[in-house]
Amino acid sequence: MSKKLWMLVSFMLIAVLVITACAPKPTPTPVPVVEKTEAPVVPTATKPPEIVETEPPVAAQLTIWADETRAPIIEALGAAFFETYGVEIVVEQYGFGDIRDNLKIAGPAGEGPDIIIGAHDWLGELVINGLLAPIDLGDKEELFVASAVEAFKYEGVLYGLPYAIENVAFFRNPDLVPNAPTTWDEVAQIAADLEAAGTVTQGYVLQQGDPYHFFPIMTAFGGYVFGLDEQGYNPQDVGIDSPGSIAAATWLDTMVKEGHLTPDIDWDTMHVMFENGSSAMFITGPWSLNRLRESGIPYAISNIPSGPGGEGRPFLGVQGFMVSAFSDAPLLAQTFLLEFVATEETMQELYEAGGRASAYLPVLDATEDADLAAFGEAGKNGLPMPAIPEMSAVWTAWGDAVTIIFQQQQAPDEAFMNAAEQIRTAIAGGQ
Amino acid sequence: MSTVETRARGFIMPLAQMSGNIPRLALRLIGLALLDAFAVWFLYLLIRDGVWPLVVIITIVTLGLNIINLREDLFPLRWLSPGLTLLIMMALYPIIFTIYTAFTNYSDGHLLTKLQVIHLLAKEHYLPEGAQTYSWVAYRGSQGDYILWLTSKDGENLLAVQGEPVKAVSPDEDEFGPLDEEGIPVSFEGYRRLTRIDAVKYISELGKIEFGEEPNTIKISSLDAAAQYQQRYVYDDDLDAIIDRAKEIVYSADNVNGAFTSSEGASLLPGYQVPTGLKNFKRLFTSPALRGPFAMVFMWTVAFAFFSVATTFALGLFLALIFDDPQLKGRKIIRSLLIIPYAIPGVIGILIWRGMLNPHLGVVSTTMKDIIGWAPPWLSNAWWSKIAILLVNLWLGYPYMMLITSGALQAIPHDLYEAARVDGATAWQRFWNITLPLLLVSVGPLLIASFTFNFNNFNVIYLFNEGGPPIPATPTPAGHTDILISYTYRLAFAGHRGSDYGYAAAITIVIFLLVSLITIFNFRYTRIWEEISESV
Repeated sequence: MSKKLWMLVSFMLIAVLVITACAPKPTPTPVPVVEKTEAPVVPTATKPPEIVETEPPVAAQLTIWADETRAPIIEALGAAFFETYGVEIVVEQYGFGDIRDNLKIAGPAGEGPDIIIGAHDWLGELVINGLLAPIDLGDKEELFVASAVEAFKYEGVLYGLPYAIENVAFFRNPDLVPNAPTTWDEVAQIAADLEAAGTVTQGYVLQQGDPYHFFPIMTAFGGYVFGLDEQGYNPQDVGIDSPGSIAAATWLDTMVKEGHLTPDIDWDTMHVMFENGSSAMFITGPWSLNRLRESGIPYAISNIPSGPGGEGRPFLGVQGFMVSAFSDAPLLAQTFLLEFVATEETMQELYEAGGRASAYLPVLDATEDADLAAFGEAGKNGLPMPAIPEMSAVWTAWGDAVTIIFQQQQAPDEAFMNAAEQIRTAIAGGQ
Repeated sequence: MSTVETRARGFIMPLAQMSGNIPRLALRLIGLALLDAFAVWFLYLLIRDGVWPLVVIITIVTLGLNIINLREDLFPLRWLSPGLTLLIMMALYPIIFTIYTAFTNYSDGHLLTKLQVIHLLAKEHYLPEGAQTYSWVAYRGSQGDYILWLTSKDGENLLAVQGEPVKAVSPDEDEFGPLDEEGIPVSFEGYRRLTRIDAVKYISELGKIEFGEEPNTIKISSLDAAAQYQQRYVYDDDLDAIIDRAKEIVYSADNVNGAFTSSEGASLLPGYQVPTGLKNFKRLFTSPALRGPFAMVFMWTVAFAFFSVATTFALGLFLALIFDDPQLKGRKIIRSLLIIPYAIPGVIGILIWRGMLNPHLGVVSTTMKDIIGWAPPWLSNAWWSKIAILLVNLWLGYPYMMLITSGALQAIPHDLYEAARVDGATAWQRFWNITLPLLLVSVGPLLIASFTFNFNNFNVIYLFNEGGPPIPATPTPAGHTDILISYTYRLAFAGHRGSDYGYAAAITIVIFLLVSLITIFNFRYTRIWEEISESV
């Protein structure tokens, strides 16, 4: 008897386990697919329903996916939204990067959120998969930093409500380098002098094989990744082997050859070297501020030095809210964003929690943090990180080319030309 | 006994037999009914979402469980059924799904099914040229129907009653009763005017309604605007095409590439999933990735797997032999300590080693510099990074080998050693002619499993150095320590347009075939040891 009972229980258990494992979150009130097949052209509800309802059913609910920094703020907002409108806001917390990956799975399965938090460079990947619904900021658009709104456009359509902008800037130790260098040749000279004097082991540090931090140098020499036209970034115009990019690669090569830059420096090493005073200059972003403040090392933030190609321009990363194309309530989602998120109080809270320059002008103009203001200054000429899906073909090849120069495995022009070839092959789908 | 009789027995006999065991039977049937109810509910969800492969599997499993439990002659299978269920769901289904995926274009841009794409595109609207935009106020009837009062920028007013054509009205008419300061009626009979707050509450409902009659329907687009929006993309069943009504372009379904494409070659986003036959395999075998670094990557994969097994086995066996000696004091403690690397999660162990071998700050490198004035470029030199990875894998893997060889050593009969000693064999001869051959008989299959595991040991490669340092001048990015699986990852996920699951699945199948071939070869080879053991 008990044996068989256990058998049954284990059947059920296994079935339940298996089944729950396969269905992450089966909702008991599903939206039948069949309903969607009805062509929306047909006017719905030509005949009012028979049942007379006393109190209107407010089934409205919005699910928002946010990371751990933003989730508490949105939860608090949700409580206020519920009080005012009776619409429930459910906040589900995910790791920032996981939001994108999970949306790709949950969205098409009909289990996804109505609103997500994310970075603008996810746009390409999400839009080509049909996962995002357009947003209309209406009159409020002029309250946002123009470049941030621009960054959230894909093929001319706006898909996000931006709240923060981040970019890298040039850091120096003012005790060792009193005046901010304005050109990259100056950086090389200061590094050589400091090293010769024995003050530091390495004047300027750059992480090996990290194209993101190398990009501002590349633009100072006139290089680019993808050509920019009215349509946005053009994937057919790969600029990794443009003369400017190669000039930057050659500058890097010279720095390595003369011993001013050394290989095998990762992000952590770069930080430790600056923090313990064995280096005097590096490029980093607002994410390093907490760490630097805690270390107690003096630092000053300035614009990226320029070069023969003009000013050094960092990549801009913009974070914002996006509406899922699989949302049952896209209008409600947009209303929530416009009425509740695009307000000074919310934007101020998002700014304070995130430690990034706000994308909302009233908050940005009132920013008192000198460091973030300096980042804002350095990012004024910034270029939005390409959001086109072809960008995923760039990172590895480009990073490998920078690493190869650090390791002196190949001449700089050959390394960059080869990387450009790899990227073109990948974009053409030939691999 | 004929089959008919067997069948009859299967169903009829148990009732007679079970007469004394009614509660037992009832319990089983109730359990089965519950399971079936659950399965049916789950199948409903799956069919709704169109997950057909899983529908088939769940149906087969449920039917199987029912048959096994209802037929008495199949009762031995009942004890196997949980295992069989798990096998089918957890092992067979993913394999079948991987093989199926390899023959589709499932990738970024083609994640959705065709039906999903059609539904998605049907949601898009456009504003025809010259169409007016209005601000709106809604009135809600007691039966959940709506009236919309529209005001254009020029101050014109429209009244849109659900189910009736939209008509131009003037608020001064008596039927509208009292007006507020903006000239909007305060109420309609039987309808309550929605405040802005109410409007938010009902906006989802309002947004789905098309007021008026075709083609002049009015739709709400935000809290402040409504207009004569028209559905932009309409799917035509007969043409199997989507018609863009805004630009008057026909996008025909291209069921080979999985996208709706116009005659000029422009495709609508997103595309959809289609079976593509051998396309992924063709792409793999004609890829420059195969001509370029593939040979190097393949050779290193084999070498990495071989040396990983050889070094971990050698060290593990050496330690096991030392601690096999009962005269050694404290051997249990030392043996326990040596197993620690096995207990530390590999991911953490690898990252710690990566830090320790860091040329600038790592403890290994700085210590070496202090003592001998030089440290190998562990991460940036092709050969040293290969050595570093083998060392890390040795650290991770030797405790396992120590454990299994310690066990296997106990199984070797002691009288063999006694006999050898009597014959005057040296310790080395005893090891070489007795211990090793007999050990290999029992641990041989485990060594092959270890080889196969290391052949696909993505963790160690990717976490330690991401396959780096990069190989210069390759047609596709590749690193000196890349093995096939990390190289695949680069090709399918880091190189092309985001994630290319179909292509990755195709490469996986090819790698599976390669590993199978090597494993078959290995098993043939190990039979030699079995012959030895038979002759001992």
